[in-house]
Formats: sequence, C-alpha cells, structure tokens
Amino acid sequence: MAVFVAKRLATMILMLLLVATMIFLMFRTMPGDPTASMVDPSIPREARQALLERYGLHESLWTQYRIFMADLVRLDFGSSYFYNRPVLEVIGERLPATLILMFAAMLFAYALGVLGGAWMAWNRGTWREAAGITFSLIFRSAPTFWVGLMAVMLFAVTLGWFPAQGMRTTGYTGDTFREVFVSLDFLRHLILPAAVAGLYFLATPLLIMRNSMLEVMSEDYIEMARAKGLREIRILYKHAARNALLPVVTAGALFIGAAIGGQVLIEVVFSWPGLGREIVQAVTRSDYPLAQGIFIIISALVMSMNLAADIVYGLLDPRITYH
Amino acid sequence: MLDVQNLTIEYTTAAGPLRAVEDVSFTLQRGESLGIVGESGCGKTTATRALLRLLPKNGAITAGRILFDGDDLVRKSDAEIRRLRHRHIALISQSAMNALNPVYTVGEQIKEGIRAHTRMSDQEARARCVEVFGLVGLEAKRLDSYPHQLSGGMKQRAVIAMALSLEPEIIVADEPTTALDVVVQGRILQRLRQIRERISSSMIFITHDISVVGESCETIIVMYGGRIMERADTRSFFRAPAHPYSMGLQNAFPSIADIGHADLVSIPGSPPDLLAPQPGCRFRARCPFADADACQTRTPPLLQVADRHWAACWYTDQAAGFRARARDHATWRKAAADGR
Ligand SMILES: Nc1ncnc2c1ncn2[C@@H]1O[C@H](COP(=O)(O)OP(=O)(O)OP(=O)(O)O)[C@@H](O)[C@H]1O
Ligand SMILES: [Mg+2]
Repeated sequence: MAVFVAKRLATMILMLLLVATMIFLMFRTMPGDPTASMVDPSIPREARQALLERYGLHESLWTQYRIFMADLVRLDFGSSYFYNRPVLEVIGERLPATLILMFAAMLFAYALGVLGGAWMAWNRGTWREAAGITFSLIFRSAPTFWVGLMAVMLFAVTLGWFPAQGMRTTGYTGDTFREVFVSLDFLRHLILPAAVAGLYFLATPLLIMRNSMLEVMSEDYIEMARAKGLREIRILYKHAARNALLPVVTAGALFIGAAIGGQVLIEVVFSWPGLGREIVQAVTRSDYPLAQGIFIIISALVMSMNLAADIVYGLLDPRITYH
Repeated sequence: MLDVQNLTIEYTTAAGPLRAVEDVSFTLQRGESLGIVGESGCGKTTATRALLRLLPKNGAITAGRILFDGDDLVRKSDAEIRRLRHRHIALISQSAMNALNPVYTVGEQIKEGIRAHTRMSDQEARARCVEVFGLVGLEAKRLDSYPHQLSGGMKQRAVIAMALSLEPEIIVADEPTTALDVVVQGRILQRLRQIRERISSSMIFITHDISVVGESCETIIVMYGGRIMERADTRSFFRAPAHPYSMGLQNAFPSIADIGHADLVSIPGSPPDLLAPQPGCRFRARCPFADADACQTRTPPLLQVADRHWAACWYTDQAAGFRARARDHATWRKAAADGR
C-alpha cells in the first residue's frame, strides 16, 4: 500500500511537470506578441524594455522555460504582477476557501446521491424514482450561474435566510485560518454556494448509484441474503449499497475534473474568494504568473483526488490489491 | 412436516402470464431426502423458491398451500417468513459461485446469518462457524478469507456450511454442484450425504443428474413443463419407472448414465410452451406412446401405480411394455419426427 502510494505520487509529479510545460507553452504561444499582453505596449520603449528585463521576458523561450521549471521544482511560482506578492502566498490564501466549498458541495452531493440512489433503485418504477431523476437532471442541465442567482434571490434577498455573497460579513477581517473559517458566520455563508454546487454535482452520484444498485440487486448474493432471513433495509444498505458504491467512486474521480468548471462559476456568482474566482480575475488582469500557478495547483488537486478515489476504492473492495 | 398441496405459480411477463409451476403436491418427512429432477426450465427452482417465498417480483403463488408443521406459509406475513428462512428452511443456491458477497469475508457472512436469528454473541457465532466449517471440511482460518480467495469447491462448501449453521429442519439444495468439475462435485455430494446422516435435517435436492438422486435421495420427483410427471420411492422408481418421460431420462443414453452423468436434454424435442398451455398431457408431443385421444385432450392426474409410487400418465397399466420399447433409441427418434 505504501509502495503503491509512493509510486502514484512519483507519477503524479512527472505528470505535473508535463502539465506545467504545457501551461508554460500555452501562455507563450498565444497569438500575437506574448509580451504585449504582459507589459502595456503603450508605455515608452525604454521603460518597456526595462520592465521586460525585470520580468525576464527578453530571454529566449528556452531560457525562460529553464528558469520557469527550475523555480517550479523549488515550489517558486514567481510573483503576481497584480498583487506584487509571491504567487504561492496568494494561492495559499485562496486555497482553503476553495477546498472547503468544494468538499462541502461534494459531501452534500455524495451523501444525498448515494442514499438517494439506493432509495430510488428500491422504488424502481414508481413516481418517486421518476421524481428523483427529474430533480437531479434539472439541476444538472440548468446553467449553474442561473440556479445560483435564483437561489440568491429566493434565500438571500427575499427570505433573508442566508447572506447573498462573500465568505464573511462585510467589514470583517480575520488573519489566521481559525479566525476566518471556524465560525458560525462562515458556515452561514457556506450553505448557499455549497448547496447550489452540490445540486449541480448531484446527478452523477445519484444516477450512477441507482443504476449500479439495480444491477447489484439482481446478483445471487442478494437473493442469498434474503434467504438468510435478513431484513430488507440491511440487505439494501449493507449488502447491495456497499457493492454498488464501487462504480460511484470511480465515476466520482473522473467527475472531479469536470467539477472544477462548475466551481469557478459558483465562486464568481457568490463572490467566493477562492481559486476559481481568482483564476478568472488573474486571466482578465493578464496576471500570468498567478494564472499559471493556479492552473498547476488545480491540476495537482485533481490528481490527488484521483489518487484518493483509488485508495477509497481499494478500501471498499477487498479484491483490489495495490501494486 | 412439509406438505405442499396443489401449488401453482405464475410469472407475469410481457407476453402474458407464464405458468411455471402447476398443481404440484408433495410431502417431506423429518429427515427425508427428496430429489427433484427435470430438464432446464421445468420449474424446479421456481417451486422450491416458493417454499421460502423468495420468488422474483413478477412471480406469484396463484393457488395451493404450503403447510410447514401445519402452518400455511403462503398466508404468513413477511416478518414471519423472514424468521423462518435460514433458521428453519435454508437454501443452498443454484449458483453458489456467486452466492457470497465479494466484499465481506466468508466468516462475516455466516455469522451474520446466525446472529440474525439467535442471541449468540460474536464469539459464540464464530465458534459455531468453526464448527460448521469443520463439518464441510474447511479449515477455520478460511473464515477470514474473502470469496475471491477461495476456489470454486471451497466457496461451494462455505455456502453449504452457511446453510447448516443453524441446523435447519429443511435444506433446499438447488443444483449445488453444477458449476464444479466432476471430481469436486462427487466429493461435495458425498460430504453432503454424510452431514445429512449426522444432523437430522430433511433435504430437497434439485439436480439435472438423475444418478445423483439415485445415490442420495429416498424419494424422487420428476417434473416436466411445470407439472409433476412421477413421484416415487427412489428404489421403486429406478426398478420400474412408470412415466414415459422418466423412462426417457433413464434410458436415452444408458452408457453415459453409467458413468454418472446422464444428459437430460437428450430426449429429442423441446419442452412445451408455458405461455400457452394446451389441454392434455404436457409430454405428449415428445412421447412415443401418446395416443390421439386422452393424451391430447385431458391432463392426467397423478395415479398410484405401486406402494409410494405415482405417475401422471393415462397408460400406467401398460408401463411394462413401454419400458421395453423405451430402451430402443429408434422409439424416441420416431416420436420426435411425429411430434413435429
Ligand atoms: N422471473 C421470471 N420471469 C418470467 N419467467 C421466469 C422467471 N423465472 C423463471 N421463469 C420461467 O419459468 C420457468 C421455470 O423456471 P425455473 O428457473 O423454475 O426452471 P428450473 O427447472 O429451475 O430450470 P434450470 O434447471 O435451468 O435451473 C422457465 O420457463 C423460465 O423461463
Ligand atoms: Mg433452476
């Protein structure tokens, strides 16, 4: 197991270097003079040259790449043009907000999806099943920003149950992690965006769980469990659900990549100060070091989630052995 | 102890009701071993699942009674049936290969069955598991194995151990060895016979292999197209089968039967359509001795032909003559040609 994780981590690092290379090239091979977007072309020539040199943009592509990669392996992502602070620092501030929102949404979607999917399989062919499918598909197909805005209108503006945006009440400034994230005020801010993101994610675990449950329910060991005189609820959740969970975990790992896109929209709609919103702003501000850094961090995030899913899979299924 | 009366079971299908079991009656005494044979699709599994009320959702008992110690199981509530399963009537499933949940150890699964019906503590249940594993010849350490770590034969024995764990009054074994190779099959059947002699459970043994019934059962039921064709004391049955179908089973390929592996599908022709049952004897289309009158129009009831021996044929009085002719392959080929 330890060997397996070590091997996977090594692969992950290799893949990240590859991703970094691609991101580096992506920014430098964009049409037109790449330096134009990085340094305002209207400023005087000498000043422009000085700036280019300061950022190292006058070097050849190859030299730039070597420096970029050498910094990267030292976990140095450079400085943000906009904030004038190390990229890593900015990311470090935004990352917890994104992670917490994402995990809250995933937790919501997976808890509801797994239990609900099992329940739908149980109610096969009834109006309840149809209602569950319709419900989850509505939130999957509706544009997330629209659902988000509607939720804000209903629950924040009209009903006033939850704050409309941000992570903390305006005017509040906390410095340490504890001050910012461990409070009721934060929780109240979290509920609405997490629910909206969760509802968007919901269809995947719910429908896969339902299908895989239906498949598992016709297995012989389910009939055997009945023949043993077990209660239906125990058969459903102990024998069937445990097996039906396997494809849900796999799908979840694949889904995480797609979920990032939804996350960006949610953060923008709810003004959530996370990486998703930051990346949009970094790109519009032509803050390339920051944008690159966030891209790489998000890639690392997706890869670690995949690794986590593989480990969970092995814990659920004794037939899996790690090599 | 078990008294099944006029049991009829139908499946609802897209093409209409399918009568998988019709008017089946039999009894099972304490300690008795009953074999049910018949070719694929004749309703063996359906009839015996009904004893545990384990029919698929689209299947229903439409007539008849199943008396277990005088109580009608057909009328019992779900909760009552649940308490009866495993504790009193245990199942060794047709596909024992897949009867174990892959994500739990074998021991956990046996213990679960024990603890669902008794107040045994975890340790007591574990001790019981070790005991039944001993009975079926598996080492105790195998209790901690997952199903995929066991061979087919071991899985089969684990499933048998599970069925024995509460010493049920009745064990229903649905083709318990079909998925195994012949050698392992033989060993397991022998083990089952020994165990049955030691504990006093009754057994219903379903198989394609008529020779197995000869070795392990006191009573035999031959089913065809959902109905009982012949029901008899095993010795009487093998000495003098009274139904032409039984004769076909015994005689069609005696050389293969001798090495203990009779192939039942080898009577020419195919089983009747259960969706559109016609009047008359179920077997008439493949029967070399069917006439143009009674066999075509009236369904024969089970008629007594000897002590503890019944057959559903209008011509049981001519059985001796039929038996002689049934030994000739040509008799069967001709019937198949005529039946078309
Ligand atoms: N769930 C179901 N729905 C509809 N028809 C079914 C269902 N299960 C079984 N049948 C039909 O009922 C008949 C009897 O099936 P059953 O499984 O009892 O036969 P069997 O004697 O056990 O056969 P085998 O030897 O192959 O196990 C068959 O014609 C089968 O096609
Ligand atoms: Mg069967």
